[in-house]
Amino acid sequence: MWSRDKFLLMGLLLWYVALSIWTAQSPTDPQFWLISSILPAAFVVGLIATHRVFPLSHASYTLITLFLTLHAIGAHYTYAQTPVGQWIDQVFHLGRNHFDRIVHFSFGFLLAYPMEELFRLGAGVRGWLLYYLPVMTVLGLSGLWEIIESWVASAVHPELGITYLGSQGDIWDAQKDIAAALYGALLCVTILAAVRAVRGTLLPSQARPAIADSST
Amino acid sequence: MKAGLPSLAQAESRNSHLASALLLCYGLLWIWLAIAPVNRRDWLLENLLAFALVVLLVLTYRRFQFSDVSYGLIACFMTLHAVGAHYTYAEVPFGFWLKDLFSLSRNPFDRIVHFAYGALLAYPVREALIRLAGVRGVWSYYLPASLILAQSSLFEIIESVVAAFVSPELGNAYLGTQGDEWDAQKDMTSAFGGAALAMIITLTTSRGLKKTA
Repeated sequence: MWSRDKFLLMGLLLWYVALSIWTAQSPTDPQFWLISSILPAAFVVGLIATHRVFPLSHASYTLITLFLTLHAIGAHYTYAQTPVGQWIDQVFHLGRNHFDRIVHFSFGFLLAYPMEELFRLGAGVRGWLLYYLPVMTVLGLSGLWEIIESWVASAVHPELGITYLGSQGDIWDAQKDIAAALYGALLCVTILAAVRAVRGTLLPSQARPAIADSST
Repeated sequence: MKAGLPSLAQAESRNSHLASALLLCYGLLWIWLAIAPVNRRDWLLENLLAFALVVLLVLTYRRFQFSDVSYGLIACFMTLHAVGAHYTYAEVPFGFWLKDLFSLSRNPFDRIVHFAYGALLAYPVREALIRLAGVRGVWSYYLPASLILAQSSLFEIIESVVAAFVSPELGNAYLGTQGDEWDAQKDMTSAFGGAALAMIITLTTSRGLKKTA
């Protein structure tokens, strides 16, 4: 039963659970940590629940785990106080902690491929739409994220407003976040298209059968 | 899920008259509103994308014709946008009237047009996806709403870039935030809400058609 494939998936899950437990220890702002952990938790449960019906490739699961790892670290340090971001701020004299922007970029860069896979295998999308739709989905979800953020901010901490949002006092923060995700998705899709062009499978004319049979 | 398609195909042969009539009406209205806009430069900025869309629709007309319904919806949206551009959105008389009527704190016309963007253009987007890309089933309802939200987000980014770099002093008029820090988010919500509504209506009416057919 426990093939080599399953080991990778269980390993990813174990890594994420261990990381979650670790980052749950005395987060910088417990309330922020709780709010930012709701969606990832639901997402992971969703992935586990749909695994039998619609298994993604190992590459996708790995990319998703990478993204969730970055988010877990950000949630622990309320993003604006993430040490890595502070270090980057000091080295490049940016004037602001850019860790949240990095994670927005990763949202596009790391999750565009799983989305492409979902469209290719789940929806049977073909041709150039296969590259267009993941980019637009990243863009749309980023917009939705900024909308939800604004709701949470005005519902939970109306007086904190723009500070709570992690905008660090920038009125264009929402737009820059969405743009960062867009660039990430564009880069991912470009790399994907380049790799496929080299392999001669740029525009797969027909959706291939779901992930190579993993019951070896 | 191909229920709605045969009627669309049949409509294609007839809609050349409707499409050209709509184009003519829009052209006349556009010229009328172009004569003396409230702010010429803002009007120009607002019209860049609108102009590109009309040119695109005209150029692709021979290759891909939308249904009558879609052309009607697109024309409605373009009309609303042309009116908004003429009055730089924040100063549309109809918006002021609504503001007084419901005692709002701001002119809501731009929000209405954002909503209309979703409500009126989700259906044409769905049609293009179905006929050009062979999108089927639930995806044909989900993707248009997702695309509208994405384009809305992209639009807010473009708006912010224009406001911040191209013309900081004109920025505020073009941006139309009217001093609201959550303006971008509310605009996107309106568009998404409009698109969701349009897809729900499409879903229920196409189900209804299938029953009667």
